[in-house]
Amino acid sequence: MTDEREITLTINGTEHTLEVEPRRLLVHAIREDLDMTGTHIGCDTGNCGACTILKDGEPIKSCLMFAAQADGAEILTVEGMEDLPEATDLHPLQEGFKAEHGLQCGYCTPGMLMAGKALLDENPDPDEETIRDAISGNLCRCTGYQNIVSSIEYAADELADRTATDGGAVTAEPGGGDGPGADDAEAVCGQSECCGGPDADLFERDYPTEDTDT
Amino acid sequence: MSSDHENAPEADTEYQHAEDDGPQPEKHCGHGRGGMGEEVSRKEDKRFITGRGNYVDDIKKPDMLHCEIVRSPHAHARVKDIDGSRAEAMDDVVAVLTAEDLLEHDLATMPTLMDDTQDVLVNEKVKFQSQEVAAVIATDRYTAKDGAEKVEVDYEVLDPVVDAQDALDAEAPLIRDELDDQEDNHIFDWETGDKDATEAVFDAADVTIEEDMNYQRLHPAPIETCGAVADWDPGMDKMTVHMTSQAPHAHRTLFSQVSGIPEHKVRIVSPDVGGGFGNKVPIYPGYVVAAAASFVLEQPVKWVEERSENIQSTGFARDYDMTGELAATEDGVIEGVKVDVLANHGAYNAAAQPTKFPAGFFNIFTGSYDIEAAYGSLTAAFTNTAPGGVAYRCSFRVTEAVYLIERLVNVLADELDVDPAEIRRRNFIPSDAFPYESATGWNYDSGDYEKALDKALEMADYEHYREEQQRRIENDADKLLGIGISSFTEIVGAGPGEQCDIAGIEMFDSADIRVNPTGNAVLRIGVQTQGQGHETTFAQIVAEELGMDVDNISVEHGDTDTEPYGLGTYGSRSTPVAGAATAVAARKVRDKAKSIAANELEAAEEDIEWDRESGEFHVAGAPDRSITITEIAAGAYMNHPGGEEPGLEATNYYDPPEMTYPFGSYIVVVEVDRETGEVDFEKFVAVDDCGNRINPMIIEGQIHGGLAQGIATAMLEEVTYDDNGNVTGGDFMNYLLPTANEIPNFDTGHTVTPSPHHPIGAKGVGESPTVGSPPAIVNAVVDAMNHAGVSHVEMPMTPDVVWAALDDAGLAHKPAQNVEFEFDGASGSADD
Ligand code: FES
Ligand code: FES
Repeated sequence: MTDEREITLTINGTEHTLEVEPRRLLVHAIREDLDMTGTHIGCDTGNCGACTILKDGEPIKSCLMFAAQADGAEILTVEGMEDLPEATDLHPLQEGFKAEHGLQCGYCTPGMLMAGKALLDENPDPDEETIRDAISGNLCRCTGYQNIVSSIEYAADELADRTATDGGAVTAEPGGGDGPGADDAEAVCGQSECCGGPDADLFERDYPTEDTDT
Repeated sequence: MSSDHENAPEADTEYQHAEDDGPQPEKHCGHGRGGMGEEVSRKEDKRFITGRGNYVDDIKKPDMLHCEIVRSPHAHARVKDIDGSRAEAMDDVVAVLTAEDLLEHDLATMPTLMDDTQDVLVNEKVKFQSQEVAAVIATDRYTAKDGAEKVEVDYEVLDPVVDAQDALDAEAPLIRDELDDQEDNHIFDWETGDKDATEAVFDAADVTIEEDMNYQRLHPAPIETCGAVADWDPGMDKMTVHMTSQAPHAHRTLFSQVSGIPEHKVRIVSPDVGGGFGNKVPIYPGYVVAAAASFVLEQPVKWVEERSENIQSTGFARDYDMTGELAATEDGVIEGVKVDVLANHGAYNAAAQPTKFPAGFFNIFTGSYDIEAAYGSLTAAFTNTAPGGVAYRCSFRVTEAVYLIERLVNVLADELDVDPAEIRRRNFIPSDAFPYESATGWNYDSGDYEKALDKALEMADYEHYREEQQRRIENDADKLLGIGISSFTEIVGAGPGEQCDIAGIEMFDSADIRVNPTGNAVLRIGVQTQGQGHETTFAQIVAEELGMDVDNISVEHGDTDTEPYGLGTYGSRSTPVAGAATAVAARKVRDKAKSIAANELEAAEEDIEWDRESGEFHVAGAPDRSITITEIAAGAYMNHPGGEEPGLEATNYYDPPEMTYPFGSYIVVVEVDRETGEVDFEKFVAVDDCGNRINPMIIEGQIHGGLAQGIATAMLEEVTYDDNGNVTGGDFMNYLLPTANEIPNFDTGHTVTPSPHHPIGAKGVGESPTVGSPPAIVNAVVDAMNHAGVSHVEMPMTPDVVWAALDDAGLAHKPAQNVEFEFDGASGSADD
């Protein structure tokens, strides 16, 4: 192989140094060189979004970028979601997809989770149209999208609940302070009979906070 | 159609959970049993949401090689020479394979599911664009691609023919000249029903109507393409193929037949599969090439398609050009139906149907209606297009049949000026007429069509929209309203072995349950999931039938070395066939459990009863003297009754006595923009009846997904060709899958009419929405323009197609040339 070059990718917090041909696609570097096969490939034209990852916080299609272009980047893939500060056992988005039956064959799911994460980082309380727009670069052949939208809404509610409970200490993105504060609990919790106060249950659970995480 | 049947048990009438409209079962919370009717969350989800799925392309083996296929740029051409030397000279290219190499191993051709013979790699003549011509095997994906570009093929280009009608012309180029007795491009003619009786009905009828309609060529297009990792083990003389397979056992038998490797030395593993929809039922050349290369090179070989290869060369669906006619009384009672079809099968007859049904179950075209006489004829033709005709979320052409009849009924309603809901009501098979034998010989198990329609009408607020539609017509509104109905009947659960087979193997299915000493169980099934949720729903059947907690049951599928033989998952057959096998096997375990219970409780076996509610066994008349399945499991291994075999397990191979007939009514309300031809969904109601329901959450998910595919069919998708046979709709830039922006929210509802012959009264549901929704959508769009005389619009109804229909009917609004902005003084600046 000609002209290999050394690049560094920080994926899910771990730094990897690898030698790649300049033409090697980022998705192949992730899947084949680093054996993280959660990120999928569904097309050859950048249309399906199965390969969506977050590069420096931005959702990108990793089949449309050379690995060398991502040299030095911080990358998040589905494998890293459970370790994010807002995750307990699972990330609220992962919980949402399970609770709302947002997946069937699961092939589009990692890309959908990434698109959902990018959206909620930017807009913690998106309406349905905004969610549909945010995932419109990701094709799903199985679900008809309705439950995927509900899954992302579930995660938004869950994150808002936690933010409310912790008085804003936990946000979807470290440093993003524009999530709804405790005052918004009533508006965002989504329960029809919401008492307007914090959910007692939530106090008993041990959510990591920004402080404890570092 | 029915068959004599010994092993068909009566439907268990003690089990009647989810009554329609009744209170729904509690959501399974992890403490209950998770039996029938509960919304158990899916066991398979965790690995998929955490990136731990294991799809074919995720498999990596030591020394694994990669295969890239060289494909023909021409649709019809003679291959004069293939020169692979420049590729072979490359450092990391290991081999270049052509038909010549495969001939040495007797692997040059493979049988299709319709018993045609397809070249694995082109032997003499290319018959469709993207056909497999050569294969390059290299140490990595990129080099294999580089190598493929260096393979030089010398073609003599021939005239292609892509249209089925043109192909039947006497002057048309002969596509299959390698076949001795093939003198034209005609494949077969097929007939169904009674021609004379039907003609007599038509001659005497008050009214007849006729409509031409095309069901365009579609592709199932699962988001995961097809692929395989073949691994020949020279030490064991064993071939393992991990492949995207909806029917692993059938593929094992076919692989063995093609390769000559004895079947017990072939293992097919279908790991996680990223959607199938019928695309992964046939065998494709890529699988065979990977296996051949692994055999020759004695290393694992991976082949994974790109999207364009998937759409351009693997099994397409539909492509039926249909003319339908109805004969009716002046009151709109349908007396006869006639249909004539021209089917484009592509370059090989590679449809996926039971072999006795060359046109699949197309003769279900009498639909939900009690029609005295029916006649259908069909001609199939070869063309220079990719081979196919697979059952895309469909039981073998039922989709085309339902589209035909549901459109015709609407055309008749227009002709007689009867409301489309009313005309359906006048013709439904009455609910007390089941079991019902149709004019084409199908034996419908159960149905209550009017109930489903009534429920859908109510959910859709039908009358309101009819009034609104009228109002808009009167006001010459910019957006017309259209309301479409489809009251479809499905035919699924193939099928009775006497009638149904795949490549000669009867379409039974199987289940094997082994209860462990610690009281949990493993269920192995002959079907395979590509997202349908078998790992959950099949465990629920066992939970229901054995009184075990659903969390204590693992479901295994997709590995031919461990699973019992089955025919796979497609045509909504898993629940009707393997689900039945699972229930029967569980009941066999229950029977054995009774003798162990008797032993443990020191009672006579005849006195042991099983209580479905608690899931426990007890002594008749003494409910306190009870024992759980967990305790029985321990007894089976640690204290088994003398004179009996130890252990607690059972297997069932289930040959269904009949097909099952799910049904439903869908109502679609659309807005049609008279300026742009765009169609917006205002309301989308789907009422389904799939008999007894195993997991309502999963059923609803299946309905959503299938409706989205129905919308894709009606509005967007078509595999198109130009006159030279170039695929012009062969990737995701041109073959348009709907995104979240094109799919509306759906209102789903259900009724429950159990199947009388299925052990748990279930019918199967996966394909209903894909089958039932396209006619509802087309009926809605036509309905919006019907007052101006529009009787049909062809699919896919893209804005230009709809706009042309509006324009022809004098309904189009042309955009104003000079748009003037009017400002409302009160609302402030122009920025508002
Ligand atoms: S693989 Fe389809 S967009 Fe990247
Ligand atoms: S779940 Fe199968 S593609 Fe989305």
